[in-house]
Amino acid sequence: MVGRFRWAAMFPDEVWEHVFSFLTSDADRNAAALVCRNWNRIERRSRKRVFVGNCYSVAPTVAVRLFPEVRAAVIKGKPHFADFNLVPSDWGGGAEAWVEAMAEGWPNLEELRFKRMVVSDDCLDLIARSFKNFKVLSLVSCDGFSTSGLAAIAANCRNLRELNLRESEVEETCLNWISHFPESCTSLVALDIACLEGEVNASILERLISRCSNIMTLRLNHSVPLERLVGLLQRAPQLMDLGTGKFSARHNPQLFSRLESAIAGCKNLRNLSGFWEPGLTYLPAVYSICEGLTSLNLNYATIQNPELVKLISRCKNLRRLLVMDLIEDSGLVAVASSCKLLQELRVFPSDPYDAAEPVSLTEQGLVAVSAGCPMLHSVLYFCRQMTNAALLTVAKNRPNLTCFRLCIIEPRTPDYVTQEPLDTGFSAIVESCKDLRRLSVSGLLTDLVFKSIGASANYLEMLSIAFAGDGDMGLHYILSGCKNLRKLEIRDCPFGDKPLLQNASKLETMRSLWMSSCSVTLGACRQLARAMPRLNVEVINESGRGPLVAQPDNCPVEKLYIYRTIAGPRTDTPQCVWTI
Amino acid sequence: MGGYCNSPSSSIDSSCDPDLSTSSIFEQRRDLSTELRLGLSLSSSSLQHNSHKEKDPLSDWPPIKPLLRSTLEGKAHQSNSETFFVKVYMEGVPIGRKLDLFAHDGYDDLIKSLRRMFRTTITCSHVSQVPLEKSHVLTYEDEEGDWMMVGDVPWELFLSTVKKLKITRVDKC
Repeated sequence: MVGRFRWAAMFPDEVWEHVFSFLTSDADRNAAALVCRNWNRIERRSRKRVFVGNCYSVAPTVAVRLFPEVRAAVIKGKPHFADFNLVPSDWGGGAEAWVEAMAEGWPNLEELRFKRMVVSDDCLDLIARSFKNFKVLSLVSCDGFSTSGLAAIAANCRNLRELNLRESEVEETCLNWISHFPESCTSLVALDIACLEGEVNASILERLISRCSNIMTLRLNHSVPLERLVGLLQRAPQLMDLGTGKFSARHNPQLFSRLESAIAGCKNLRNLSGFWEPGLTYLPAVYSICEGLTSLNLNYATIQNPELVKLISRCKNLRRLLVMDLIEDSGLVAVASSCKLLQELRVFPSDPYDAAEPVSLTEQGLVAVSAGCPMLHSVLYFCRQMTNAALLTVAKNRPNLTCFRLCIIEPRTPDYVTQEPLDTGFSAIVESCKDLRRLSVSGLLTDLVFKSIGASANYLEMLSIAFAGDGDMGLHYILSGCKNLRKLEIRDCPFGDKPLLQNASKLETMRSLWMSSCSVTLGACRQLARAMPRLNVEVINESGRGPLVAQPDNCPVEKLYIYRTIAGPRTDTPQCVWTI
Repeated sequence: MGGYCNSPSSSIDSSCDPDLSTSSIFEQRRDLSTELRLGLSLSSSSLQHNSHKEKDPLSDWPPIKPLLRSTLEGKAHQSNSETFFVKVYMEGVPIGRKLDLFAHDGYDDLIKSLRRMFRTTITCSHVSQVPLEKSHVLTYEDEEGDWMMVGDVPWELFLSTVKKLKITRVDKC
């Protein structure tokens, strides 16, 4: 250390550990760890939380050894496009190696969060037995396990506070897994089982909720009828986050008023979701708590106008709204005038394939919300038509956008008024929204839009491209620009070998790159792999043309996944995946 | 520039897709696999090259998550289980009809259906219209057995108290 700072070297490690404990973000702790060898040693030995964005970027045993005091870990597996069936189901992302290493080296682990990982029942069993103070298990978009594994968790994790299964695919093997929570279990604070397909025993659930007086989050699945929801709400009036079960029942005025008062009794309700198979009769039962809501998720609720708008217009304090396009432009105009605090809006397609009865949701709705909601910074919008003018207006209205994901359902759709590509519109977005972190583009786009993105999107971290561009230059603009790009995912674009090879070193500054149905050849992948030993270049060919090793250089690559790693090529690749 | 070619899976004729840079064999193979994956979202011009009219269960476009996909598919196959049929009589007509109130979203919608069913002008207090001599008025029987004019209370409240409907002649009110 420099002479002037010798006083700092006299501090015992515990003092520095205490100082570092005030650094809450991973980025700050990473920065501190790079200052000097001492700080590196002290920081990593006292680090309590670890985030692994790509489970294959580091070997589990290495991670566990480097950070011995970890209490909370987040591990992510499959690439994002796995959500849309683009990644073969046996690609990888298995959790065994991680769970085994953690069971060995982190006996005091309290929180484990997996996203897009394949978690087996054996893993769940191991988790249940290995961590005596286990508190939080979150499995988001995971699969590979069944309710038997959940039963093991319920039975053995004495201090379980949170069990979250958001959007996971769970096999139903154990019918009454909920009954495996012992009578002594009173610690549950959050339970999200909305994704479960099977029946959940509502009586057992009711008893569980009764004894867990701190329960704040309860998200039910579609099997829980309205009648039972009343009972659950009466036992947990302190709920802040509720996901209803099935939201329809036979016409019954008594049930309506019981439901209405049970909901009104939940004065702390801030998040509302569920509404599975909704009918119209019981919607007014939630009106009383609408004004307190900050988040409303009607993602899976096929409710039409005017009831839909009636519900949302009452939620004057909404920060986050997820809704189907059944809300239509008129509904979004109402949102723009009622929900002035709106920060995040997601509009999903109710009829993504046929458009048999096209819904009246167009670019107008988006423009209305961008004009009326000054705090709007995150948008996901599915629609069937767009204009450059609308995008320009959105860009002008909302320079504070941090996330803009637009999906025009028909690929390569031009500006429907001028028939031009949507280059100018998206360029306006990236030029105006200087803090944009995430962008998804769609519609008819040439290389010009990528020139703008490469030049202007300085804080962009994640970019998704589909059916766009003219040729290699498009990809080159992105890879040679976008200083902070971490994740790039591309499908069905005419991008080839040249931009990849020209920007090879850029790939090591990113977490990952996915390209499918583009114009990349095997030869380029071989070259890339040779030049960049710290990248795993995975080629995925599912059409079974024979072993890739034997194929010539000009063999086209169907799907390509490149990611930086210090763990070398992985050992669990299936037949269709080859790490070059 | 490929602006004039909207279909994502262009025909085998490579001149429609000037952005493809590799060999024509590759173009064809890539086009077909894209076509197959796109399933129903193909524009009509390309359907002649593709017989995959049925929904591809592994469809990967548009980019929606599996839970939403299955919820929407479920909706397509399952009929709306919630119905509320009430009897409707028109004065002077001995045979009544039945109508699903849940299939309507308000008084205006209900009046429209009834007009179609009974081929007469119908008014209620909700509709601001001077009743003509030949028109009818819509009434309903509530839980207490009283006959009331339709339209005075909010639609949701009406749904929770209505037992049956009757269309009576104007001069009787």
